Amino acid sequence: MSEDKRLLLKGNEAAVHGAILAGCECFFGYPITPASEIAHAAAEIFPKLGRVFLQAESELAAINMVFGASATGRRVITASSGLGISLKQEGISYIATCELPAVIIDIMRGGPGLGNIGPEQSDYNQVVKGGGHGSYKCIVLAPNSAQEMCDLTMLAFDLADAYRIPAYVLTDGVIGQMMESVTLATPRPRKPVPEWALAGNSETRRNVVTSIYLAHDDLEQVNVNLQNKYAEIERNEQRFETYKTDDAELVLVGYGIISRLIRTAVDALREKGVKAGMLRPITLFPFPKDALRSLAAQNVTFLCVEMSNGQMIDDVRLAIECSRPVNLYNRMGGNVPGVEEIVNEGIKVASRNPQERLT
Amino acid sequence: MAEKHSKKFDVEITVDECKGCGRCVAACPKGVLRMTNKVNMMGIVYVEAANEGCVGCGACFYTCPEPGAITIYELDGGENGE
Repeated sequence: MSEDKRLLLKGNEAAVHGAILAGCECFFGYPITPASEIAHAAAEIFPKLGRVFLQAESELAAINMVFGASATGRRVITASSGLGISLKQEGISYIATCELPAVIIDIMRGGPGLGNIGPEQSDYNQVVKGGGHGSYKCIVLAPNSAQEMCDLTMLAFDLADAYRIPAYVLTDGVIGQMMESVTLATPRPRKPVPEWALAGNSETRRNVVTSIYLAHDDLEQVNVNLQNKYAEIERNEQRFETYKTDDAELVLVGYGIISRLIRTAVDALREKGVKAGMLRPITLFPFPKDALRSLAAQNVTFLCVEMSNGQMIDDVRLAIECSRPVNLYNRMGGNVPGVEEIVNEGIKVASRNPQERLT
Repeated sequence: MAEKHSKKFDVEITVDECKGCGRCVAACPKGVLRMTNKVNMMGIVYVEAANEGCVGCGACFYTCPEPGAITIYELDGGENGE
């Protein structure tokens, strides 16, 4: 790659470039709107670079191919949208239990059920809370631009490898399908195959990748180890962005496309005399609890803006242990709230007196 | 610039790929596209290219969330187009 290479890309395409730059060797997937451009771009780029692109017969097949490729120590990626992620959950639980790294991109669309192809954020619970069976979690990164689709996909590979954990890139249909200018980073040097990987030869014969532990105590120990790892991730990897929070009395919280609307809304609210600020979680697991707690200590009121029935708001409330009022403004069904709607809601929330706000 | 205007384009909707979201109708600067009252194989009301005047800008193509639903052809045949 030449230096300062800028391209006009859809968020979905940028994620594929990020995967390539991170040294990803395999893509296994099954197309679904609004994540199809990821498969399209991967189909175009991966084979040219001698890497594997395979359209599986189903989402279930795709995630199990990811499982297999990851067990051989290769960087591997898959992508889908809400209903496809639901299908992949079984495999993701296996990958998480086997402590294998993998990157999964979820471009959220309208749900539940077959839903529609509009943008939504309703996969939050099924992605951030684990989603499949068992007590596991995955790292979740939430980009809000095509540039971040590229950068955070690269970061997802690094974090997945560092902690041997599946890492999600979670965003909505708007970010996935919106075209923006993207500056490509320097490609990562090729990684050696890790020592735990399986190669089907005598040297790796003693490596075991499994998620079945029939002795209860053994399985409990696996669970304890996983929880310790998640605690370590929560200590080290909380990422977030703040905007005008220093003197804020009302803090709007949102991720993905919502964070870009909120940023505009914060400026508009300040023009109308409301001391507003923004907190955007960049990692959804680990959730930026420390940042929220320090904001709560400033006695702010929170307003969560979501394109779901209010899923992230639970984590905001838990992070601050309900010590401050947390309000919700949400749209669903593929609708994106307008800046004006958010501003009006912000004024409404800010105009309540503090006692009222706490109830 | 006259040369540029002489180019002719044609926009084609692959009816069964269309999910009827209407983004292309909103995006088209020349009002070429419109929503029909007919349904496709999936039972979804779809968009059709109702009028002449496609300038090949690609706005509909880029805004369409369904890869493969919209194809834009640049027509051969000089000024008359075919």
